[in-house]
Amino acid sequence: MNTEPSLLSRRDWMSSALGLLAAAAAPSLAFAQTRARIVVVGGGVGGATTAKYLKLFDPSLDVTLIERAPVYLRPYGSSEVLNGHISMRDLEVRYDTLRDRYGVRVVIDTVTALDATAREVRTASGQRFGYDRLVVSPGIELMYDAYDGYSEAVARSRVPCAWIPGEQTALLARQLQGMRPGGTFVLAAPPNPYRCPPGPYERAALMTEWFQRHNPTAKVIIVDPKDSFVTDETMMLGWNRLYRFNLPEDYEKKIAAKVEVLRHASPGMLSWVRGKEGGRTLRIDARRMTIEIEGGVIRADVINVIAPMRAGRLAATMNLADSSGFCPVERRTFASTRVPHVHVIGDASIADAMPKSGFSANTQAKVVARAIVEELAGRPAPEPLWENTCYALAGSDYGLFVADVFKIVDGKIARINGASRYLPLDASPAQIRLCARYQQAWLRTFTQDCFA
Amino acid sequence: MKGATMICPVFIPRRSARRVRPLAVLAATLALAAVSTHASDAHTPPTAQPWTPATLRQALAALPPGDAARGRTVHETMFCASCHGERGQAPTLNWPHLAGQKAAYTAKMLLDYRDGRRLENHGALLMRDLAQMLTPQQMADVAAFYAQQPLPRDDGTPRAAVSAEALRQAERLVRHGDPARLITPCASCHGARGEGGTREAGALAGQNPLYLRRTLLDFQSGRRHNDAVKGMSTFAQRLTRTEIEALAVYYADPSAGRHALRQAAR
Amino acid sequence: MRTPSVAIPPSAAGYRRALAWVLTAALGAAGAVGLTVQERALAQARVQATAQATPQAQTNAGTPAGPAAGSAGTAPPSPALNPNPVPASVMAHTCAACHGTNGQLGDEAFKPLAGMPVQQFVRTMIDFREGRRPATLMGHVAKGFTDADLQAMGEFFAAVAPLVDGTATHKATP
Repeated sequence: MNTEPSLLSRRDWMSSALGLLAAAAAPSLAFAQTRARIVVVGGGVGGATTAKYLKLFDPSLDVTLIERAPVYLRPYGSSEVLNGHISMRDLEVRYDTLRDRYGVRVVIDTVTALDATAREVRTASGQRFGYDRLVVSPGIELMYDAYDGYSEAVARSRVPCAWIPGEQTALLARQLQGMRPGGTFVLAAPPNPYRCPPGPYERAALMTEWFQRHNPTAKVIIVDPKDSFVTDETMMLGWNRLYRFNLPEDYEKKIAAKVEVLRHASPGMLSWVRGKEGGRTLRIDARRMTIEIEGGVIRADVINVIAPMRAGRLAATMNLADSSGFCPVERRTFASTRVPHVHVIGDASIADAMPKSGFSANTQAKVVARAIVEELAGRPAPEPLWENTCYALAGSDYGLFVADVFKIVDGKIARINGASRYLPLDASPAQIRLCARYQQAWLRTFTQDCFA
Repeated sequence: MKGATMICPVFIPRRSARRVRPLAVLAATLALAAVSTHASDAHTPPTAQPWTPATLRQALAALPPGDAARGRTVHETMFCASCHGERGQAPTLNWPHLAGQKAAYTAKMLLDYRDGRRLENHGALLMRDLAQMLTPQQMADVAAFYAQQPLPRDDGTPRAAVSAEALRQAERLVRHGDPARLITPCASCHGARGEGGTREAGALAGQNPLYLRRTLLDFQSGRRHNDAVKGMSTFAQRLTRTEIEALAVYYADPSAGRHALRQAAR
Repeated sequence: MRTPSVAIPPSAAGYRRALAWVLTAALGAAGAVGLTVQERALAQARVQATAQATPQAQTNAGTPAGPAAGSAGTAPPSPALNPNPVPASVMAHTCAACHGTNGQLGDEAFKPLAGMPVQQFVRTMIDFREGRRPATLMGHVAKGFTDADLQAMGEFFAAVAPLVDGTATHKATP
């Protein structure tokens, strides 16, 4: 199915063979030349998992992980800082275990350039890292300037985005928890494709839950360029039950056929303005604190703009991204179709049916680690399989999920595990509660699998 | 909208008008929400009163009579089977078997989880959430269901390597205790064959030895403190680590350790 | 139930009506003071028919039925769409994010898989797949695997030493 990898593996085999010959002639150079060097750029979920599993599969590999920040702030579950469920400290993940338990060389530095011909990555401090294979997992870049009046400066000071955790998360938490009684919180959901499909809606839901207790006259408005979202039926059924949210008519029709839907005479504080209702964001006015959408202008006390996003900046720097802003790859190995000996995984990659999620990045990393190890040994990469199974919250005690298993079907990555992806609408209270608890457990086990 | 200072919610009559649900139905369907908002935040430790023998007796007596057939339904629909096994014999190393457990003990554990007297690890936190979703009738029923199951055996859990001497010491503790350390025989509460004894003293025969070992260590360290009048804590504090390991292995075999003694002698 | 004090102005423009209803409902009862909502003349609406247009090659793959590339009609996606076998370890490693690297897990809500007897693993996954066993998402996950896949995964996990109290077990006789 895939001719490229076998071609690469022939080359690699040849270079290993040459290396062996050189080893015979110059023993002192042998070790450095025959030990395959893998460089991983990006210390998020994708990069960390790749580095760990490369070492798990073959401890003799020379694996270097280059990451800009010394401490990783996990984005998954970071909305729980906003409602005070956890603190910013709880998001911190360190690289010690990768280094100490698996022998990954962790370099804290910023990658500035890729020399694909010399097979070398260069960093801000002037270091150069040669590789036999390079794995790039650069995550996302937020396109703040997609909206008039919005910019990174505005996001940092007044209208946070907080889709990559950091100071903006802390700022948004302060703003939300300090919002005046009866204030309005507007969350601008992003257009497709974006990282973590249920994420914006989980964030709005958790804040609605918090406001119900702490600021019961507050308002929460989600403005959306889209008319639907991943987990929409189960998420909104939760809102219907928890927040006196009335379902849009088309959803109510679909859902009421299977399970009871409440129609609230006096709707609660949460509303969702869809694309077809004019929900697409046009302009932010940080001074007046207004957000202009196609359907009108809303003045708010707190505005969270989840900006459109594309592959992390390095993808462009390294010429890995195409005009879509994301990186095309071979499905079997996630090898870049643009630059040889380089693989791209995670949110930055174009992965057909796989959503942009941590779980996807985690399983992509494992497939790539395996492919690299096999190809370096002169064998073809095996048939891959990926998953995306993760939990989300409609409330602290109300959980839901999406569950996907993927294989390559007709040359593209497609789901193979049945028609249904989501928690059934008629789930029992026990299932719903367990989903919420499993979500918390998953945050822990997932972090362990990626970083420890 | 301009100039409006007070905007009331607008009720738009639908073409197929859905009548407002009667309060009772609304309350029932929103029970989930009520439970959710009232349910303890996983981060706040609850403050439950420790048992006295009297309050424990009263609490257990207050439970309705349990029905094992109904209990099977609870076991299946509330995900008990998922962790504790189809017939109450847990398929993993970490969790206890419930098969053959005394109904009073199982019920007490559910009350302890529900009220936060027992919260020693992540598993216990999950149990708290589940126990809070059970009615007293469901607790009584599921306890009756487990009591009806045969005691576990040959669960396949790895046993720690304990010497024959340690096992003999374990048998001594079970049958005779140790007067020097004021340790009463385990059998005096837990039954001659570890089948459980008076009131809420649990069955130990066939229990997952890793779980039993952890439990004794937790009582020893105080991580578990839901025992009435601190009985188990007192005994556990006086046991050595070797004795704890040996007791766990001893009880793991339903024929009260003789088999284990034979194996250790090989 | 309050009687409405603001009537929705009759309007042919769907946006205006829908938005007005949504905003009024949301901004309802108390504390609307200080908020102003200015409606735009929607004749200048810049909405295109493809208001939710996505970049060419990508979506967030949100449809409940799931894309099953090239499959016929409404048949649900199944492992049969790609019968090429996947190595046991590749399949097993997708479980790690919940069940621990190599299926090794200590005190957690999820079940450790390391050391689980093969037939127990296979039977449990088949029960999940057929809906005989209550689950949150395991039923959905199990549908991605054939019996042969499950046998291979079961053998993989059975061969891994389980953790005991967070540390590796001794080699002990069962």
